[in-house]
Amino acid sequence: MKRFFTLILTLSLLFSLCACQGNFSKADLKEPIAIGEDGTVAQQLLTQIKEENAICVFTGESNGLHYEWTVFGSDISAPTEINLGLQVTKTAEGDIQLTLLQPKAFGFSAPLSVFLDTEWTAQSATAYDGDKAVAAVSLTGSKTTVLNLTLDGSVGTLVIRPDPLPQSDGAEDSSVSDTSGDPAADADTSATPENSDGKDKYHTDPIPEGKPKPAEPEDQEVNTATAYTCTFSIECSTILNNLPQLDEDKLEMVPSGGVILPATTVTFYEGESVFDVLQRVCRENGIHMESSWTPMYNSAYIEGIHNLYEFDCGSLSGWMYRVNGWYPNYGCSRYQLQDGDTVEWRYTCDLGNDVGGKNLF
Amino acid sequence: MDRFAKYHPLVNFFYFALVIAFSMALRHPVSQGISLLCAVCYAAQTEGKRAVLFSLKWCLPIMLLTALMNPAFSHEGVTILLYFPTGNPLTLESILYGLSAGVLLSTVMLWFLSFNRVITSDKFIYLFGRIIPAMSLVLSMTLRFIPKCKAQLELTVDAQKSIGRDMTQGSLLHRTKLAVTVLSIMVTWTLENAIESADSMKSRGYGLKGRTAFSIYRFDERDKLALLFLTFCGFYLLCGMLVSAFGFRYFPSIRYVGLNTVTLSFQFVYLILCMMPVVLNGAEERKWKAIHSKM
Repeated sequence: MKRFFTLILTLSLLFSLCACQGNFSKADLKEPIAIGEDGTVAQQLLTQIKEENAICVFTGESNGLHYEWTVFGSDISAPTEINLGLQVTKTAEGDIQLTLLQPKAFGFSAPLSVFLDTEWTAQSATAYDGDKAVAAVSLTGSKTTVLNLTLDGSVGTLVIRPDPLPQSDGAEDSSVSDTSGDPAADADTSATPENSDGKDKYHTDPIPEGKPKPAEPEDQEVNTATAYTCTFSIECSTILNNLPQLDEDKLEMVPSGGVILPATTVTFYEGESVFDVLQRVCRENGIHMESSWTPMYNSAYIEGIHNLYEFDCGSLSGWMYRVNGWYPNYGCSRYQLQDGDTVEWRYTCDLGNDVGGKNLF
Repeated sequence: MDRFAKYHPLVNFFYFALVIAFSMALRHPVSQGISLLCAVCYAAQTEGKRAVLFSLKWCLPIMLLTALMNPAFSHEGVTILLYFPTGNPLTLESILYGLSAGVLLSTVMLWFLSFNRVITSDKFIYLFGRIIPAMSLVLSMTLRFIPKCKAQLELTVDAQKSIGRDMTQGSLLHRTKLAVTVLSIMVTWTLENAIESADSMKSRGYGLKGRTAFSIYRFDERDKLALLFLTFCGFYLLCGMLVSAFGFRYFPSIRYVGLNTVTLSFQFVYLILCMMPVVLNGAEERKWKAIHSKM
């Protein structure tokens, strides 16, 4: 009987060892891979990324500036040898010039992040090939700017130029005077008396000069007769720069390039808030979104979009929204949209510091 | 006839510890199914009709309730079925997770049904009296407390009735008054009873150093074999968990480890571990019948 048990025990050990070996024989793709001097990446490595359906980060440096490629296994159709080498130079005008060593198109969309040593005041930027705009660049980073763009087939030399700020101060003033002319908005301001600490009854700090005041959702009436349009986008490019922190189960939810919804023009009706529009846009596009109503702030709180939830990428991560370049300091149910507004939902991994909302916390 | 219950308490306890721990740790549907099936089989074998009634009356509603409740609070998952009025999505993953949680809950409840019958308080005291004397006494007292309290309640109500305080008649206020009296009597009795038990155990020198306790348990060759078998199963399943042979993920999308020879071997070991008492009892019964027919 004892001999029988020893036999079973050894067999079991053998079995578990076999199972272990299967896991360890391949190269680890979770760690960032440094790009060599000449920048070439072997076909074999790309084949492995494709087979494992992995998300692999390649890092390199040029003129003291760090850059990262995030290659998604799901994007690669035919693995070939590619060159991820990059020359980053600053032009006299303060723009960034990228020279790719790759002779022809990659064959898949390759998200690139360039870590600058300075801070850009712009909200967004655009990559130009000559005079032609080839890619929208989203800006992240807390102290120094990180440029995030996805290259779809464009090679050669690109120049990244910051976009002009979305609205001048004068234009914002006029939009505010529009709302204050509205009797409903007047009633709001009188209904929310400021506390002794300068906060209103929903714990909102004073709204900066020239920015729209919060409008309580229960006072708003949606007027479906008046339709407006606004630009809506949802992106999470900060996750690409913080992949090691991301919950492993959520890797598959990260879209390549970090864009969940590219800038889209959507129709909304007078009196609708950012939350109303977000809910409708997500539903129409089949994007998962979970929110919870928070009575303390009289607004909905966005817990997760596209199954990417708060705290999924570190304890300081979550969703934030920006309208016309400003992160409102109140909830999205209280932000009443105006015609032509630009709404961006962005995932932060550092309480907003990395997406240009550093003054908030 | 439960032969497994006649094994050494250590074997009994080790078995339940393993099975309940793995029932909670392994979330693969196949393992969950194995555990639920074995729990029902064992309970039905030893408790008969009562266990089947218990599983129908309690476990089935719990399973359905958690399957319905979970998606009401958790909206994660990639498969959106429809939308709630609040605008949050109802996802397939959250329903399946709720179902899995319900199966887990009822499986553990059924295991504890058998646990309570096999691990009697004297076995528990025997096992833990020397290691954690105070804790094991409190535990066995608490377990004993519920049936004892029930009997005392009946006694109190009858005694009250016999002196003309019938709780079943009169106005609501009157009945409430009587119920409060009974409650007060019960609370007093409980406190007094607890102190009395504690004092009596103390006067017997319970938990003192060098004091032995009478027991009728012997650690035989069959117990040694059973313990060896359980250790092997536990070790093997732990190996399986380390190589994630039981891997099953619900959120955000369902991903699982497929069934192949290796993973099936782990599931099979889990099955024979869970089935151990049922097999032992079945073998015993067959042996008994075989002897009987020869006579």
